[in-house]
Amino acid sequence: MERGLKEKRSYSVYRKELWLAIAVYIVLLMGAIRLARPMDDSILRTALLVSPMIGFGLMIRAIVRHVARIDEYQRLRMLESFSIAMAITGAVTFTYGFLETAGFPKVSMFSVWIVMGASWALVCGARALRDR
Amino acid sequence: MHNIIRQLRADQGWSQAHLADLLDVSRQTVNALETGRYDPSLPLAFSIARLFSRPIEEIFQPDQESA
Repeated sequence: MERGLKEKRSYSVYRKELWLAIAVYIVLLMGAIRLARPMDDSILRTALLVSPMIGFGLMIRAIVRHVARIDEYQRLRMLESFSIAMAITGAVTFTYGFLETAGFPKVSMFSVWIVMGASWALVCGARALRDR
Repeated sequence: MHNIIRQLRADQGWSQAHLADLLDVSRQTVNALETGRYDPSLPLAFSIARLFSRPIEEIFQPDQESA
């Protein structure tokens, strides 16, 4: 069903802010890889290597502003979905931790991000289907 | 809580999206209110009452009277 005008505008602003932040992150990351990696150890190199986090900071800003813009019901739904997704993430990562002890291959900690995102998408999708 | 928001909206000939704009909430929220899946906060309940020019207790009624 169609969103209201104010809601559309709110989501449009969020998308713009988030994609701008992602773009800043990617540009700074490329710069850090090209410029900082070959440099000798120095404060400048450290600063350049950590500079992509400026983009990450902008992402946090976009999310905080979006959460402040959405209404009370959306905020409640988001909190509920996030709580369930985090519980699933915990269960999956703990299970895999035990499986690693049982001999399964070691997986990078970055995979937690993927599990977190997948759990979040799964919960949101399941709840959307249930509410139909 | 039971409410008559859907009926009041229909009387005005408004869509859920239009009512959402008037209340400054999402269409999803209006849908949740109308289907009884969500009870609004007091400020939102007052906004709804003001918009339809009705007292809150005329729009929202408890499912069961409690003591």
